[in-house]
Amino acid sequence: MCDHNCEKCRENEAEDPKKRKFLAWSVGAINLAVLAGIFTPVAGFIGSPLKKKEQDDWIDVMGEHELGEGETKEVRFKAKVLDGYQTVTREYVVFIKKYPDRVIAFDPACTHLGCRIQYKGDQKKYLCPCHGGVFDEDGKVISGPPPKPLVTHAVKVENGRILVDRRAGSAA
Amino acid sequence: MPREVLSPEEPVVGKHERTDVERLVADRPSLRDWTDLRLGWWGFVRKNLDEPMPAGVGWWQTLGNLLMTLLAFQFVTGLALAMFYSPGTESAYLSVKHINEGHPVGLFVRGLHVWGSTLIVCITVAHVLRVFFWGSYKKPRELTWLVGVLIFNVILGFSFTGYLLPWDQKAYWATTVGTRIAATLPLIGHPLMVLIRGGEEVGALTLTRFYAIHIMVLPAALVAFTGLHLYLVRRHHIAGPVVAQKGPPVKFYPNQLFKDAIVVLLGVGILAWMSLGMPPSLEAIADPTGTDFAPRPEWYFLGMYELLKIMPAGWEIIATAVVPGLVTVGMILVPWLDRAKSRHPAYRQWIMVSGMAVILMIGVMTLKGILETPPPHGHHASATTSSAPPTIARE
Repeated sequence: MCDHNCEKCRENEAEDPKKRKFLAWSVGAINLAVLAGIFTPVAGFIGSPLKKKEQDDWIDVMGEHELGEGETKEVRFKAKVLDGYQTVTREYVVFIKKYPDRVIAFDPACTHLGCRIQYKGDQKKYLCPCHGGVFDEDGKVISGPPPKPLVTHAVKVENGRILVDRRAGSAA
Repeated sequence: MPREVLSPEEPVVGKHERTDVERLVADRPSLRDWTDLRLGWWGFVRKNLDEPMPAGVGWWQTLGNLLMTLLAFQFVTGLALAMFYSPGTESAYLSVKHINEGHPVGLFVRGLHVWGSTLIVCITVAHVLRVFFWGSYKKPRELTWLVGVLIFNVILGFSFTGYLLPWDQKAYWATTVGTRIAATLPLIGHPLMVLIRGGEEVGALTLTRFYAIHIMVLPAALVAFTGLHLYLVRRHHIAGPVVAQKGPPVKFYPNQLFKDAIVVLLGVGILAWMSLGMPPSLEAIADPTGTDFAPRPEWYFLGMYELLKIMPAGWEIIATAVVPGLVTVGMILVPWLDRAKSRHPAYRQWIMVSGMAVILMIGVMTLKGILETPPPHGHHASATTSSAPPTIARE
């Protein structure tokens, strides 16, 4: 009869399948916890731009009288924006068209893959230099690969001045 | 007399009656014996140098060694560039300009890095094609091929992330378009693009992200995959010619290593010549508002760029994800798709025809892209309603 303190008994105990299984699972669980402890905050930090929502940012770009009805004008404006860790003055471009009842500001990014479109006033068309997309002066796709009409910026007219929201797609 | 390899498991002492020389070696071992007993280094080196090469192995098998050398050089030149580079939207362009103009060899080192990346893509393609046509991926070398495909993708990742770093017009616009490709994926497209860019637009966080991936994530992946690839190459040995040739295997050293050295000399010579003769350009600083710049990717992405042009509206995902995805998955699955027992191309007709069709497609599209320089409507942007658009400063 073993007194449960002999060397062989201790060996048997160490080799006990149940105990080995328990220890193996414990090692796995500890490793998972350690990895999760490190990777969760890292993934959260890397993914933080996904949660960032930009506030509306109205910029006075021109007087309403400067634009004739049916006319399209390329307007550049500067705005201070937070770019990651720094506040920078960034220049923006919009194409503003005046309709009888409203003003629309088209974003210059092609809806295909984001290349900068060019406005051809004589043809009343926007052309994309990358993959040959063509939009009419109302931003609708005429030909080429762009899947959607041009994105627009929110516009408001106050006291005879045209104000544009800096964020592309803000009119949607 | 062959040199005895020492090992801790089988110490020389006590195995047999020692000679005076052996006793001297054991009691007062040379530095080489002392280190070898502890590291087993010379045994490892000897094993690799004595690696048997089947008869018929020769110049085509030198490409792997050239690739390794060029990749190692990218680490060295990349380290030097990283010491002068600053990954910020205000400083990146200036720091690359300083590398180009501030020191006599700066431009040359950058040239080695830039042309090195192009040469690596070319050599990798040649290496992949050699393995493909020789059917060297067949059992038991399937995983060697698979890891090779992963390395190829890591190399393309290096190219894509490195392209942005100079923060010039070419860099900015190629990345704007390149990252926008992610947004064409259904459901996850837009969040994925924001995650890659670090925001809605290509900006400061895109640059730091790409820099971190370029100098940390991809090098780590490259080292791991290359180590595994080499281990597998040694474990399964070189496959040898498609039709077994007569003759005994030849040791890797010195015959094959000599051929490797000649090819490395030639490759590095070409690299140095390109770097001196065609120093890498730096265009105007990135201008998100510029309308006079037609974005173009690096030449080896031009095939995909051209494919995008011919896709009808709403079908761009075919060019951005489906075709590249199918090519990559197809490449990974080649060893399992090709069920022929023989490695001879004549017995692997369908995989040969499919492979050549893909190569031809990529080749024609790339050539089309190269020839169409500059692309249509490439220049002269202006708002015709106003020759000098007003710029409104808002503080």
